[in-house]
Amino acid sequence: MALNLTINSSNPPLGVLLAAEHVKGSVNLSVDEGKDNKLRVSESVQFSDVNSITRYLARVTPTLSLYGSNMLEQTEVDHWMEFSTRRVCGQSGLATALGELDMALALRTFLVGHSLTLADLCVWAALKGSNDWQSIQKQAGAFSHVARWFSFLGSQVPFTAVGNKYANSKA
Amino acid sequence: MPMYQNGTEVDPAFRDLEVRQDKIMRRLNELKAAVDGLAKTVTTPDADLDQTVTSLSQSPTATSFRGTADLDSLLGKDLGALRDIVINANPARPPLTLLVLHAMLCQRYRVLSSVHVHSSVSGVPAQLLSCLGPRHADSYVRQRFQLGFTLIWKDVSKLQMKFSIQNMCPIEGEANVARFLFRLVAPYPSDPALATLVDSWVDTAFFQLAEGSAKERSAVLRALNGALGRDPWLAGPELSLADIACYCCVLQTGPAASSPANVQRWLKACENLGHFGPANPLLQ
Repeated sequence: MALNLTINSSNPPLGVLLAAEHVKGSVNLSVDEGKDNKLRVSESVQFSDVNSITRYLARVTPTLSLYGSNMLEQTEVDHWMEFSTRRVCGQSGLATALGELDMALALRTFLVGHSLTLADLCVWAALKGSNDWQSIQKQAGAFSHVARWFSFLGSQVPFTAVGNKYANSKA
Repeated sequence: MPMYQNGTEVDPAFRDLEVRQDKIMRRLNELKAAVDGLAKTVTTPDADLDQTVTSLSQSPTATSFRGTADLDSLLGKDLGALRDIVINANPARPPLTLLVLHAMLCQRYRVLSSVHVHSSVSGVPAQLLSCLGPRHADSYVRQRFQLGFTLIWKDVSKLQMKFSIQNMCPIEGEANVARFLFRLVAPYPSDPALATLVDSWVDTAFFQLAEGSAKERSAVLRALNGALGRDPWLAGPELSLADIACYCCVLQTGPAASSPANVQRWLKACENLGHFGPANPLLQ
C-alpha cells in the first residue's frame, strides 16, 4: 500500500513533514509539493487537515508508538495536538500557552511518556513556525523548560533535516 | 581494618558511626511516614476538588450493574482509590457530548456521578445541576463503584478534565475528553483510516460546526450529507464517536429542519438509539 502525501509548498506543514520523516522507514510514503496538504490513502479515503494526517501516519506505524503506548498517553497526545493547533497557532496570547507548556515540561524530557510522540512533533512544529517564539527564544531564561526541550528535539536528525529544508520557506 | 568485637574495646569512631546510623534510620522512618501520609492524600480522589461549594445531584438510581473488570487493562492497575474523572465545564457551554457519553459509561460500568458548582459561577440553571440524573442511593460507599464522574460547573475558558493526576497532564477541550470517555465505552475502529476518520469528524464538529461561521457550518452540513448518503453512520456501518459529536453540535447550532435530507434521516436514527436522552433537555 503506497501512501501519497502532497504538501502546500508555500506554507509547509512542519508537523506533517516531521511525522513523515519518522515513519518513512516503516511505510511506503511519497511526498510531493503542491498547493494543498493532502494524504491520499486510497481512491476513496484522503485526509487534508494536519492533525488527521499525522494521526493516520502514527496509526499505520504502531510499532513506533507515536500515538502513545496506552490509553492515558493517547489522551495526552490528543490534548497536545489540539494545543498545538488552537493555542500555539491560535490568536490568543502565546505567553499563556508557553507558561502551561513550561509547567508540563518541568519534569519531563518528552511531552508524553518517555519517548517521542505526535505531541512532541506537533507542538515543536507549531513553535518552530511561530515568529513570536523565535523572538521569545532570544531572551535569556524565558520559559527555560520549553527552551531546553525545543533545542533538545531540534538538534536531532529528523528535526534538523525538516527544519533546514522547510522552515525558512515559511517566513 | 579491625573488626567491631564484643563491645568492649570499641574504637570511638565506630560508636560515633553507630549513633549516626541510628539517627539516619530514625530520620528515614520519619520521612517514610510523611511520604505515606502524602501518598494517602494524593490518591484520595476528593483531594482534587478545589473549594467547590454546593454538592448536588448524583447518578442514575437504576444503574445496571453490568460493570466489567476490563478497566484495569484499559487504564492500568490503580492504587485502590476510586478512579475519578473530574471535569470542569462552563455552564454557558454545556458539554452535551460528555453527558451522552456519561450515560453510555453508566450502562457499562458502576459510575458514581456528582455535580458541583464552583464559587466562580452563580445562577446555574436547574437542568444543569441535575444533568447527571438523580443522586445514587449507595453514593456513600465509594468502593461499590468502578468509576467516579464529577462534573464541576466553573468559569473556565476551555473545558478541562483531570484524571489520574500523578500520571497524566490535565486534558483540555471537549473533543479530547470525549475521545477519552469513548475509549472507555468502546474501542476505536481497528482500521487506521476509519479511526482517523472518526477523529477528523470530531474535530470538524467542535471547531467548524460549533465555533465556525455560518458559511463553515453549511459546508460541514453538505459534507455530512455526502458522507451519510454512502453509509448509515459517519464512520461506516457502526455508530461511533463521530456520530455523537456531530449530532450534538448540529442540534446545538441550529434547527434540525434546515438540514439536508440525509442529515435529517441520520438525526432521526440517532434519536431512535436512545443514547441522546440526557442531552435533549439542554438543547434549545
